[in-house]
Amino acid sequence: MFLFMSNWSDLKNNPRLKNIYETRLHILRLMREFFWSEGFVEADSPIALRLAGQEPYLNPMEVVIKNSFDSDFKFYLRTSPEYALKKILAAGWSKVFEISKCFRNQESFGGTHNPEFTMVEWYRSPGTYWDFMDDSEAMFKYVGEKLGIKNLCFGDLKVDYLGDWDRKSVKDLWMTFLGKNLDDYLSVDAIGKLVVESGLQFDQQDKYEDLFYKLFLNKIEPNLGLDKPVFVYDYPAQMCSLSKLCEHDDRYAQRAELYVAGLELANGFGELTDFKLQKINLEKDKTLRTQLGKPTWPVDEDFIAALKSGINTAGGIALGVDRMVLLFTGARDINEVIFQSVADQVNN
Amino acid sequence: MASTSEIRKGVVIKHQNDLFVVVDFQHINPGKGAAFVRTRMKNLASGKVIEITYKTSETVDIVSVQFQNMQYLYKNGDNYVFMNMDTYDQIEMDGDLVGTDGKYLKESLEVIVGLYEERPVSIQLPKKIQYKVVEAPPAVKGDSASGNVTKEIKLDNGLTVQAPIFIKEGEEILVNTETGEYSARA
Repeated sequence: MFLFMSNWSDLKNNPRLKNIYETRLHILRLMREFFWSEGFVEADSPIALRLAGQEPYLNPMEVVIKNSFDSDFKFYLRTSPEYALKKILAAGWSKVFEISKCFRNQESFGGTHNPEFTMVEWYRSPGTYWDFMDDSEAMFKYVGEKLGIKNLCFGDLKVDYLGDWDRKSVKDLWMTFLGKNLDDYLSVDAIGKLVVESGLQFDQQDKYEDLFYKLFLNKIEPNLGLDKPVFVYDYPAQMCSLSKLCEHDDRYAQRAELYVAGLELANGFGELTDFKLQKINLEKDKTLRTQLGKPTWPVDEDFIAALKSGINTAGGIALGVDRMVLLFTGARDINEVIFQSVADQVNN
Repeated sequence: MASTSEIRKGVVIKHQNDLFVVVDFQHINPGKGAAFVRTRMKNLASGKVIEITYKTSETVDIVSVQFQNMQYLYKNGDNYVFMNMDTYDQIEMDGDLVGTDGKYLKESLEVIVGLYEERPVSIQLPKKIQYKVVEAPPAVKGDSASGNVTKEIKLDNGLTVQAPIFIKEGEEILVNTETGEYSARA
């Protein structure tokens, strides 16, 4: 079903696709200008990692690197530059960004995903999650004003992003769209009952995240960011391995996601900098990977050591550049904003 | 019951005792939880479109639909009439179910029609359809210099598309039915 291509002959013959690609290149330049003008340093970190992240539901791609004696070393293509950038913070930089090619396996070839995608990720230390919400808003407005684009478009939706953006806690959204206090649904039992009451399927194997997302994706997400972009923040703590707990309520953690026209665009954290707690969380994630039957590898001790050396409070976020280009250009499919997407290469 | 991996455009799903035809679907992976399939489907009785997001491990009740090559004949009011090319039987399909695909139909075009209990519920168009250009304003000198590299042209079934300025009346062109755009000279 995904036949919205962007290959060389499309760029040559189809003015709409050519314009999308030119806008993409322009956006990359403007993004750099924005971060440089804010005093950020552009980092450059490896794509192939010996130890990938532990996110239970991501599938890193394996690559084998051979040395000159033909011995094999198993590596993984990064799913994000997160650990590397936090190590760079530990090395003494305080404001870093990277525009990175990232890879995730077992995702759809088109629509709003491509297995190879471009992400801009940035950190401020010292910094909080409120800072990157401000940065995201300022960056979109900087880019959009230079491009002269007034609305972000996705499907039939047009979103005005030049006014003030919204910020809503997950708890507020639950009250608005489900009429329930999320405080009462922080256990698998309670949220499982609500899933059944809401007419959705409940499976004994479902983890808290699965049940949360069944409700969130069906009842809440399609309503997010329809008039203006919205940051959704403070997620249940069990879903946030890399974030700091909220000071006002330790059942929630400082995680925030950006939504525009029902599309998730970015995910960031008030970063967990306590090395002991970080190690515990990552080991838990690794155990969950084993339970899910996924390949595992050791927790990156060099990352834990970087945290142990001492990092200021930090806020960091990863934003999908391909989706950003899609919104600015009104493209119909992610394959239209990527030159030679996986689908394009597989089908031609 | 079937796996969500069998969800495709045109399949019919029984959901809470109503029948729905899938008009679009999209795999989504929130990254912090298992993968999901967001499905847009149209109620066969009321025509109302709903969106349901299934976890990929869930099961769905997919009812059997027969796919049949048919030829488009003509429009009858809001409905479309097709002919079974094996039996020459004619069937009429609800305009609502044809939806925006209707604008691509032209006499004697072959399409695949999905039939549920002999009732037509979905059509699949060819990816590219050939049309004759019936109206194409001539290129004006300076058009390409001012950035006007396309113009609106009208095709033999009434469809209008943007095409390169060199396309002339009477030519045959191909239109991509997924994007609604000019694809190439035929």
